[in-house]
Amino acid sequence: MNKEKELVQLMEKKASIGRFHMTARERNDRVFAGALLLPSVLITVIFILVPVVDSVIKSFLNYKVKNIISGKPGEWNNFANYIKLFQNGKLGMAIVHTLLFVAAVVIAQFLLGMALALILNSDIRFTRFVRSIMMAPWVVPTIISGLIWMWLYQPQYGLLKYLIGLVTGGKVSDFAILNNPSTAMLGITIAALWKQIPLTTLLLVSGLTNVPGDLLEAATIDGAGSVKKFLYITVPSIMSVIKITVSMSIIENFKQFPLFWTMTGGGPDNATTTLAILSYREAFVSNNLGSGAAVTTVWMLLMIVVVFVYNRVFKDVDMN
Amino acid sequence: MFMRKRTLALAMAAVMGLTTACSGGSQSAQTTAAPTAAETTAKAAAESKGEESKAAEAEITEPVTIKFANYALLEAGYDAYWNQLLDEFKKQNPNITVELVTAPYGEIVNTVVNMAGGGDMVDLMYGELDWIPTMVEAGMAAPVGDVLSEELVADIYPNILDACKIDGEAYGVPMYVSPFLMYYNKDLFEKAGLDPNTPPTTYDEMLEIAPKLAALTTDDGNKVYAFGLTTASVPVSGACLTSSIHNFGGTVLDADGNLAIDQGFKDAVSMWKTLHDKGYNPENSKLKDLRNLFALGQLAMYYDQSWGFNGVKSINPDAADFIASAAPLKGGNGNGESVLQAGTLMVMNNGDARKAATAKLVDYILSEEKISQYFETVTPAYPSRQSMEDLEVVKNSAILAGAAGAVGNVKPVTFIPTLSDLNLEICTLAQAVTVSGTDVDKAIVDFETAAKGVIE
Repeated sequence: MNKEKELVQLMEKKASIGRFHMTARERNDRVFAGALLLPSVLITVIFILVPVVDSVIKSFLNYKVKNIISGKPGEWNNFANYIKLFQNGKLGMAIVHTLLFVAAVVIAQFLLGMALALILNSDIRFTRFVRSIMMAPWVVPTIISGLIWMWLYQPQYGLLKYLIGLVTGGKVSDFAILNNPSTAMLGITIAALWKQIPLTTLLLVSGLTNVPGDLLEAATIDGAGSVKKFLYITVPSIMSVIKITVSMSIIENFKQFPLFWTMTGGGPDNATTTLAILSYREAFVSNNLGSGAAVTTVWMLLMIVVVFVYNRVFKDVDMN
Repeated sequence: MFMRKRTLALAMAAVMGLTTACSGGSQSAQTTAAPTAAETTAKAAAESKGEESKAAEAEITEPVTIKFANYALLEAGYDAYWNQLLDEFKKQNPNITVELVTAPYGEIVNTVVNMAGGGDMVDLMYGELDWIPTMVEAGMAAPVGDVLSEELVADIYPNILDACKIDGEAYGVPMYVSPFLMYYNKDLFEKAGLDPNTPPTTYDEMLEIAPKLAALTTDDGNKVYAFGLTTASVPVSGACLTSSIHNFGGTVLDADGNLAIDQGFKDAVSMWKTLHDKGYNPENSKLKDLRNLFALGQLAMYYDQSWGFNGVKSINPDAADFIASAAPLKGGNGNGESVLQAGTLMVMNNGDARKAATAKLVDYILSEEKISQYFETVTPAYPSRQSMEDLEVVKNSAILAGAAGAVGNVKPVTFIPTLSDLNLEICTLAQAVTVSGTDVDKAIVDFETAAKGVIE
């Protein structure tokens, strides 16, 4: 009994020594990991968190350009920036336009991007060549894209006007997509798709190349058709890529500003006034930074809600 | 909130006097105020003429660098002039280095403001008259009296200088001025069987001849628009639309900066709708779009600043052969009053050395030699200095002759810090009654709601 007792005590002692050694190693690892993370954390805090908090604070202040230049702090204005936004009716309209644009571009971008990715992932000829040149629109700066599309849409001598005239046999000779409040958003959506589809396609192609070939082969042997293989093997296999791609697209289009400002300036008749345009006008046309920050705060909250809902919906969707 | 009334008619009449005296014609009756204005300031002008400013006299013995924000350096047709001017200035003033700050027209104000926010304030900025309230509201623009020589400031037509004042202080000096005038294509008039030397003087007359012009097509079969009025969402379009409202005797803001929508305002908005419904006005166009169409012979008449000719000329070098100007149209109970526009120099205070160097540069830019060269080689306009009253290039300008009377027929615009945003709301109103097809009364009610949010 005594020997057993001694053995147990010895083992406990060793275990405690082992725990002490593990703890020290863990502590070192943690210090090392912390050191590695520190630059990222600092950059995130300084360049993202602090400006976001600062912007939210300023949204409650009477804060204009002169405050920046004179160094004087803004003054609390009893939610006046928010009250003004909700009273003048522009905020609701801008939210609707923003959500419509994001939904239209994200859905169309995913469907077209997936279609292109499937084509480029097949064995047809020239796919390598197409893959290399298809990135061109993505490389073009967004403002330049806007200018290019404005020329294509130009109402008097634009290519689109010419094509519409050709297709309709000259019956429609004055089609001006950006001048009509009911089609202006479509015009910008097309420009956004042209610019963004290449990246979506590239990401999805990279996902498709990793779909397990043995699974597809087994499914083929079991008699599954192309549609079933796509829905039950391909899509689940690349779901992580899809989730990231769609998330990126949502965020990218929520903050879309250059295309709107370049192509329509929010017009005609406010038909393309999104939260980005509204924020810019408040902050940099009216030079009321506090009011601009209020729009930005609403904009940020809306984006957080949408991304949160998206992540909740797709949380459990996984191959496993 | 600061605000001030710009009353320019008298000084403009003085400028008008010299041009009308040479052009003759029917506008002479509108120039009666000119001699009065000229006489009242002639003595001061004569005294200052020939005298070098104190700043210009001051030798810059130590090297100094100043920053000059100028969007025109990025614009074809203007860049060569400005680069040459700055090269020549550098040769004459080797101790002064002019560092250029430039950005596209629509971004230059934000660029300058952002720089100032970072502690780097430019010394001089070239831009629109309407940018003054923004620059003052930002606490950047300095009173010109603090930087420029008394002689130069005294030589600016008093009421033009008044146009740059906020609470009694002038914060800019215009390099040149122009109202929104009407350009028309003489060739298209002839083609339509109209007298190219008798442009319409009222909106009703314009509507009478418009069908003949709208029935034309270009040689390659493109449609010809009868009358262009910019309505796209940019602040300068709002200024042009305000000018159209003034044509009808209407107002946008009263002297206190409050909305003052009247019958003239409503008449003007109804006219915008008519022009659109009849297909006379290119939809939702910027001024540059109208210049493009005009240069290509697809637009018979349109409203522009006098320097818009440069944009037309850069597209079609032969434009001088067919372009002519006319006074803005009269509508309703109005008498065709317009809005004054000016290429304006705004100064900032960055200490004595930089102020002296800035004063020298402004003196050089506003010298008779350089202004004459600008009007000759770049674009026609009217001078802002009384000592240039007899400038040959203006007196002999065939392009400006037709609109000579217009420069004295301008109506004050009230400066408010959010003038640019208010101008965008006016554009939205124009778009509502045109491309959206909204009823005029409803569109005006919507405009009132939106504009109040901008003004308050």
